Amino acid sequence: MGKQIKIAITLVIVGGLLTTAAFLMAFYTAEVQTFGFATLNKAVDTVYPLAPANMQPTDGSINYQRPGFAQKIFYFHVPIAEASFLVFTIAGIFAVLFLRKRRKSYDTKSRIAMETALIFVIATMLTGDIWTRASWGVWWEWEPRLTTYLIMMLLMIAYFVLRNSIEDEERRATYSAVFAIVAWIDAPISFFITRLIPSTHPIVFKSGMAPSILIPFIIAQVGMLMIGYAIFVLRVGEEDLRTRLDISKEALEG
Amino acid sequence: MSEEIKQEMAVEVRDLSRTFGARKALNKVSFDLPKGAFLSIFGPNGAGKSTLLRVLSTLTPPASGSQVKVCGLDVVKEDFELRERIGIISHNPLLYPDLSAEENLRFFAELYCLDNPEERIDELLEAVELKHRRMDLARTFSRGMTQRLSIARALLPNPDIIFLDEPYSGLDPHAMDILDSLIDKVREGHTFIMVSHDLQKGLQLCSHALILANGQKVFFDERANINEEEFARLYRETVGMGVS
Amino acid sequence: MAQSNDYVMERKPKEKKPETPSKIKVSNWRQFKAIIRKDIVMEMRTKEMITSMGLYALLVLVIYYIALSQAGQGFDFTRIAAGLLFLAIIFTSLLGLNRSLVHEQDQGCLEALLLAPIDRPIIFLGKAVGNFIFLCIVEVFIVPIFYFLFLGGGALAQSGPWWMLVVAILVGSVGIAGAGTLMATMSVNTRGKDFILAVMFVPVMFPLLLIIVTAMTSVIVANPGYVASFWQQIAGAVVFDVVMVGVGYVLYDFVLGA
Repeated sequence: MGKQIKIAITLVIVGGLLTTAAFLMAFYTAEVQTFGFATLNKAVDTVYPLAPANMQPTDGSINYQRPGFAQKIFYFHVPIAEASFLVFTIAGIFAVLFLRKRRKSYDTKSRIAMETALIFVIATMLTGDIWTRASWGVWWEWEPRLTTYLIMMLLMIAYFVLRNSIEDEERRATYSAVFAIVAWIDAPISFFITRLIPSTHPIVFKSGMAPSILIPFIIAQVGMLMIGYAIFVLRVGEEDLRTRLDISKEALEG
Repeated sequence: MSEEIKQEMAVEVRDLSRTFGARKALNKVSFDLPKGAFLSIFGPNGAGKSTLLRVLSTLTPPASGSQVKVCGLDVVKEDFELRERIGIISHNPLLYPDLSAEENLRFFAELYCLDNPEERIDELLEAVELKHRRMDLARTFSRGMTQRLSIARALLPNPDIIFLDEPYSGLDPHAMDILDSLIDKVREGHTFIMVSHDLQKGLQLCSHALILANGQKVFFDERANINEEEFARLYRETVGMGVS
Repeated sequence: MAQSNDYVMERKPKEKKPETPSKIKVSNWRQFKAIIRKDIVMEMRTKEMITSMGLYALLVLVIYYIALSQAGQGFDFTRIAAGLLFLAIIFTSLLGLNRSLVHEQDQGCLEALLLAPIDRPIIFLGKAVGNFIFLCIVEVFIVPIFYFLFLGGGALAQSGPWWMLVVAILVGSVGIAGAGTLMATMSVNTRGKDFILAVMFVPVMFPLLLIIVTAMTSVIVANPGYVASFWQQIAGAVVFDVVMVGVGYVLYDFVLGA
């Protein structure tokens, strides 16, 4: 128990250092990138300069040079978003495990993973909003990725609303596991939708990345995952203590 | 030898546990009940009575390591076969208020895939003296009549074992008498398991008695061996225990 | 056979019992039919679900008029017609789904259903098909009314064939009934009931609604090449339906067991 917490705290520190390192690298070593295709017809976009001729796509759309500063959010927004999908998936896996084994600990883990995923989703939304404002000139755009991602957030909120409305522990665990699985169906839809439907949201990893960009990106990703894992472990430990406290309370009361 | 026991026993429960997290709804309960017996289960609220009934009627699976057989059938592995042999009469009518008496029985007869539903429904309606109201909606029935109809429903598949989940709650004295005589009528050849709050009623009917408290078996014996006063004292102690 | 009231006392002789544990031959089809027939008989008697759903839908349409009353002359209603129609359908179906499962919960009937030798997925399919039928009946009312109130006077003169719209509505209704039955079974056991159902149901249904509305609008507007894009959308919606009904089919057992 104590050992786990030590590991978790170490992970928080290392993860924090890595993210900070990635932050510095993003601003000092990474090359400025014209990121994504600007097929937007937003008037505000036209204030950006055109990309050089050799970087113009051949399909008729036009690449604009985005302000380099806004692009830096990429090193944080994308790792957090990817972590959110991963943690959501973990919540789904624990939900399946719960339905198969009916062990309360799986329910607790599924719930905590869902909490962590929700934190990541909200962070993704915030960083994403800053970027859309800078890059598209609007705070919100009803485009496929943003929309499905918003739905994912609503599903997670619904998960907690459902949990809070059921008294019986076992029923609560079962229903929320079932709903977690149903809700998870939206995750692959949201993840792959930019590849299926024409979308203004940039697609990452479609073409390769320069090492000076890739390295801080990977460092940030690893840092985020460490922090995410640490949050998860600490919360599981906390819940464990809480149940033990409840048991001893009950025993004392007789 | 074990074959013989299987023939004799209606319910065999070994180390029945039912846990969720730290909470133990049932903790290592064991008992055997011979065929044709009438078991009354007593205990305070939250003692695990309903959970026990749900496990025995295949609605809730027991924790692994428990061995529960009803009518010689395992409640987990042979639940499907077992359900054909179970009838339940509860304080909840388990009937659709917007269907007539006959339609209610017809629906359940179809679920049990009975061969001659019409014939069986006629017989049962006659047995519970509701033939004259067969076309009336269940919603228009008095509490006692509803209970009679739900008995007919429980007897539809001709079950071997009948569960009674506080069947007397909410009944007026007259309806109670009718229920008594109906139970008396079908007593032979059936095994009964009743959950009850009413000590007198439970003792009067039963051939075996079980007291549960905090998910554990406190007492199990045949009616013949029970000293009523001592039993009442034990009952009061355990009920007091759970009320805290 | 027996004339006396005491027939129930008589037991079949022991020898008559077959060696195999199963006394009766269970027919899934017969049980499935029984569940649907019961729901229909009950509904024909009370007309509770259909009247409340129909009336509610009508009210929603009246409110649409308020929203549209200031839209002005140049406003192209055909582009939002499908969206508004499905909005009415989705909120109406919430009402019906909740009712349909409250019936089962009211007097503990669901427990009696579970005590019968019946495969859990049969219960799911029975309830889902019942809900689908009621939803279709209500749609038969709302869709023409919606047409006469908002799309009369040749608004659809340029549109594709009407049966394509019917296909889209049916595909959408399958998903609503499938996922809705699963979620309504959960929500009737919670404190919030219909509120919880809405909170779960709307986001889960979102992708399906978006696809169906896109498909219907493409038929109504009927730009060149709309047929291909319509079938593409419908294919996507069918995949969603299959996933949702499949998930419901598999997970219903767990929901009922809790």
